[in-house]
Amino acid sequence: MIYALTTAELAERPDLRDAVHRLRHTIFVEEMGWEDLRSPEQFETDQFDHDEAVHHLCMRNGRLAGYQRMLPTTRPHLLTDVLADLCEGEGPRGPNVYELTRYAVAHEHRDGRRGVSTVGSELIAGFVEWGMERGVDQVIIEFEPMWVLRALQLNFLARPLGYQRTYGRQQVVATLLTFNNQTLEVVRNRRNHHAPVLSRGMPEDEIFRQAS
Amino acid sequence: MGQFDDTLQFIDELDRAETPDTVCRLLLDLTSNYGLTAIMAGTVPRPGTPRAKQKSHVMLCDWPMDWLERYVQRNYVDLDPVVTYIKRSPTMVNWRNAAIELQAGQTARRVMGDAGEFKLNDGFAFPLITIEGTIVMVSLGGERVDISQEGVGVVSLASTYAIGRAMQLQSAQDIFDQRPDLTPRETECLKWAAEGKSEWEISQILGISEHTSEKHLLNAKRKLGAANRVHAVAEAIRHGYIS
Repeated sequence: MIYALTTAELAERPDLRDAVHRLRHTIFVEEMGWEDLRSPEQFETDQFDHDEAVHHLCMRNGRLAGYQRMLPTTRPHLLTDVLADLCEGEGPRGPNVYELTRYAVAHEHRDGRRGVSTVGSELIAGFVEWGMERGVDQVIIEFEPMWVLRALQLNFLARPLGYQRTYGRQQVVATLLTFNNQTLEVVRNRRNHHAPVLSRGMPEDEIFRQAS
Repeated sequence: MGQFDDTLQFIDELDRAETPDTVCRLLLDLTSNYGLTAIMAGTVPRPGTPRAKQKSHVMLCDWPMDWLERYVQRNYVDLDPVVTYIKRSPTMVNWRNAAIELQAGQTARRVMGDAGEFKLNDGFAFPLITIEGTIVMVSLGGERVDISQEGVGVVSLASTYAIGRAMQLQSAQDIFDQRPDLTPRETECLKWAAEGKSEWEISQILGISEHTSEKHLLNAKRKLGAANRVHAVAEAIRHGYIS
């Protein structure tokens, strides 16, 4: 299940908040080499964890298995403030456009081969579902060029926003993905899972789970 | 900025392309600016794949005809150092470096030498990975290649969009191939059935006998594997025969 939480909601659950920032540190600093974000507490956080950010948590057996963060483009975001050289000209902005950042799948939930794991594809289904519910039909993603092919396979309309560049150990290209209900259907067909993945409530507390 | 606009325009044109051949031609128009006049892209067949089956792995191809014939005839896919390199380490590689790094033996060097005969002296290859984890190898080359690091970025991104488009066209084709084969008359009868018309009404509309309209609907139901008429209408919509 995917839980979409605001920064304030996430703060109410220190166990989840800590898991989120630790996972982000593991993936983005230790694995991908984004040294600017290194922290001695192994806790990755930045100026965009603000009150309008939405955190998508993919849970498996009460534990954080995957994560992504949605940022409104109506205020500063990575493409405007940090990764501006990935964008030629004005980037897309508006209430229907969000920026998807920090897409991460915990190591133990990766597909052994090179494919997209079930957690990885659940995050994709999650942001499309989340978007369709609130009139969001475009996301900006800064990802490896490899992902362009996968996005096209999933029926997203994809357009690059600039040239690809090297960050840390990665090639990155900023891309605008446009989606609709048909995209959601293709994503669900590919996953062979047609039920919604977005949950309404809060993840169960690990302590309560163990007690009950 | 001018070059980036060209890339966007290229992608717009790809979206309008209706066949893999058109996709291939559009891509070559772009890559030939860098002296890359030949392209081969596809999944890598397992060693020992029969020659007849090797061609089904090809997604985009514009190689000199004689070279393609020889490549398949002599089973070069199992010897080609570029293919071997990409299989072992899926990263971008220059044709020559692939041979050097693998310390290619004589047979492998023969593949490269043969390619030269067809004016394919220089080039590079890179992998793309699909959702399923399958490696698609893209190989581009020509007689005189002149490309900067930036150009490589443009070409690889353009190739990714081209392969993506080719795969979309292919999967649309697969769906088309798998769908049951309804005749125009059967489709027409289903269309009116979907409007709630009875067999008699359909026969009046189409100017056929009631018995014939009944027969058309029964055939359509059978071909669609449907349990009843409502189910047949639903299946026909799903397969895109009626809307």
